[in-house]
Amino acid sequence: MTRQRILAMFWPVLFGAVFLGLWETFVVTRDIKPYLLPKPSAIWGQFHGNFTLIRNSTRVTATNAFIGLFLGVAGGALVALVANRFRLLRELVMPLAISVAAVPIIVLVAIFNNLFSITSEVPRRLMVTLIVFFVVFLNVSKGLTQSDPTQLELMRSYGASQSTIIRKVRVPNALAYLFIALRQVAPLAVVTAFVSEYFGGTQDGLGARITQSIASSRDAAGWAYVLAACILGLVFFGVAIAIECAAAPRRSRQLS
Amino acid sequence: MTEIAVPTGQVGAAAAAVEARGAAMTFNAGRPNEVIALAPIDLTVAPGELVSLIGPSGCGKSTLLRLIANLLEPTDGSLLINGKPASQARLDGDYGMAFQQAGLFDWRTVSRNIELPLEIKGWDRTRRRARALEMLELVRLCDFADHHPWELSGGMQQRVAIARALSFEPKLLLMDEPFGALDEMTREHMQTELGRIRAATGAAVIFVTHSIPEAVFLSDRVAVMSARPGRIEAVIDVALGERTELTRGDPLFFKHVTEVREALRAGHGVGGGMEDR
Ligand SMILES: Nc1ncnc2c1ncn2[C@@H]1O[C@H](COP(=O)(O)OP(=O)(O)OP(=O)(O)O)[C@@H](O)[C@H]1O
Ligand SMILES: [Mg+2]
Repeated sequence: MTRQRILAMFWPVLFGAVFLGLWETFVVTRDIKPYLLPKPSAIWGQFHGNFTLIRNSTRVTATNAFIGLFLGVAGGALVALVANRFRLLRELVMPLAISVAAVPIIVLVAIFNNLFSITSEVPRRLMVTLIVFFVVFLNVSKGLTQSDPTQLELMRSYGASQSTIIRKVRVPNALAYLFIALRQVAPLAVVTAFVSEYFGGTQDGLGARITQSIASSRDAAGWAYVLAACILGLVFFGVAIAIECAAAPRRSRQLS
Repeated sequence: MTEIAVPTGQVGAAAAAVEARGAAMTFNAGRPNEVIALAPIDLTVAPGELVSLIGPSGCGKSTLLRLIANLLEPTDGSLLINGKPASQARLDGDYGMAFQQAGLFDWRTVSRNIELPLEIKGWDRTRRRARALEMLELVRLCDFADHHPWELSGGMQQRVAIARALSFEPKLLLMDEPFGALDEMTREHMQTELGRIRAATGAAVIFVTHSIPEAVFLSDRVAVMSARPGRIEAVIDVALGERTELTRGDPLFFKHVTEVREALRAGHGVGGGMEDR
C-alpha cells in the first residue's frame, strides 16, 4: 500500500522538479527581467525570508475562508433539509440558488464593506458563507430528492414512516452529495476569501499582500504570496478529500 | 377465461397467501393519459406455493405485484394477503420483496442491509445481528457479513436482497424479475438456490419473469398474462416434482415450456418478446 503510494507520487514529483529546473534555466539563460518572471529560487528565497509575514497573512485569509466555509456548509445543509420538508421554502430558495451560480455575486463584498467598519473581516466571511451556502444547498437538495426508487419502494414495503425514510434513506444519500459539494466548495472558499480582499477593507490578507508587493516592485515577494495562496487552496482541498474518504469510503467517488 | 381462481382446497386450511378478487388498476383514470393497466384479476396463491407471472412487456406484471404489496391501491376489487387486507399485511410485514435491482444501501454493510427491515420493525441490535447472520447462512454468504455491497458480484447482491426480504420471516415473497440482470450461469444457479431457500422457509412466492424456462423450472403454476388491458390468460400447472439440475433436461420440462409458449402466443398473436432461456 505505502509502496504503491510512493510509486504513484514518483512521476508527479519528478515532473514538478523538471518543470522548476527548466523554469530556472530559462530565466537565467534568457536573462528574463524579474518583474516579468522571477526565478523559482528567488521566490523560494522570499518565501523563506518573509516567512513570518507570509504566515500571518495566510492565517488571516485562511480564517476568513474557514469560518465562511463552516457557516456556509452548515447553513446550506440545514436549509436544504428544511426546504425538503416545506415546499414554499424550497420554491423560494431554489431559483435563487440556481441563478446565483450564474451571477458574479462576489461584487457584493463592496456593499458589505460599507455595512461594516473598515477594519472588519465580517464582509469577507459573509461573502464566503454566501457562496458556499448556495453550492451546498443545491447539492444536498439534489441528494435528498434523488433517492433510488427501488430503495424507496422497499422502505414503503417495510411500512416505514416518512420520517424514517428521511433518516435512513434520504439523509445518508444526501451525505454523499454533501461530500462532493465539500470538495468543490473548500477551494472555492479560499478563492473567495482571497478575491474579497481586492474590494477594500483591512489589507493584511494574502490577496492584499500580493497587490502591495507587486505595486512596490517586490515581484519575487509577490510570487511568494502566490505560492502561499496555492498551498492554502491545496490544503483546504486535501482536507475535504480526507474527510470524504474517512466518512464515505467509496460511494461518493462512484457518483462523481 | 374462467378457471383462473384455483381454489386452495380443504376446509380449515390456512388462509390463502394471496387472494385477489376482481383487482383492477387504471392509472390516471378520467384523464387523457389514462392507462388501463389491469383488467379485473382473480388469483389465489396457496401457502407455500410458487406462482410465476409471465407475459409481454407492459402487460401489468409489476403493477399486479405492487397491488399485492399495497404499494398501489387497486381502482377496483379487493386483495387479501394471509386473509388480511393488503394495507394491514404490509404494516404487519406479511411479505418480503425483491426487485431486478438489488436495491442494497451502499452506506450499509451486507449485514446491516439485512437488518434494515428489522430496525424499522423495532428489533433490538443483538437480535437483529443474529438474524442477519442466520439469513446469510441461508443464502451462503456468511463470509461477507461485514463487506459493503459494491464488493459483491451481481448474483451475490441479489442473494443479499433475498436474505433481506426474508429476514422477518414473511410467509410471502414477491419477486419482480429478480434474476433478470444476471448472466445465464448465475441465473440457473440462483434458480436452484431459490428452490432450496423456499424449501427451508416454506414461503409462498410470486415470481415475475420474462423467461419461459425459468418460470417452468421454478413454479407450481405459471400464470400467463396478456396486455391491454392486462389480464391472466391461462394458468398452467407444472407437475415436475422436486427440481434438480436433471429437471432441465426432462422431456416433461420441455412439454411445459411449449405449453407456456403456446399460451403466450394465444394471448397476443406471435410469442413475441419472450426469451427462450
Ligand atoms: N405509475 C404509472 N403511471 C401510469 N402508467 C403506469 C404506471 N405504472 C405502470 N403504468 C402502465 O401500466 C402498464 C403496465 O405496466 P407494468 O410496469 O406493470 O408492466 P410489466 O408487465 O411489469 O412490464 P415489464 O415486463 O416491461 O416490466 C404499462 O402500460 C405502463 O405504462
Ligand atoms: Mg415490470
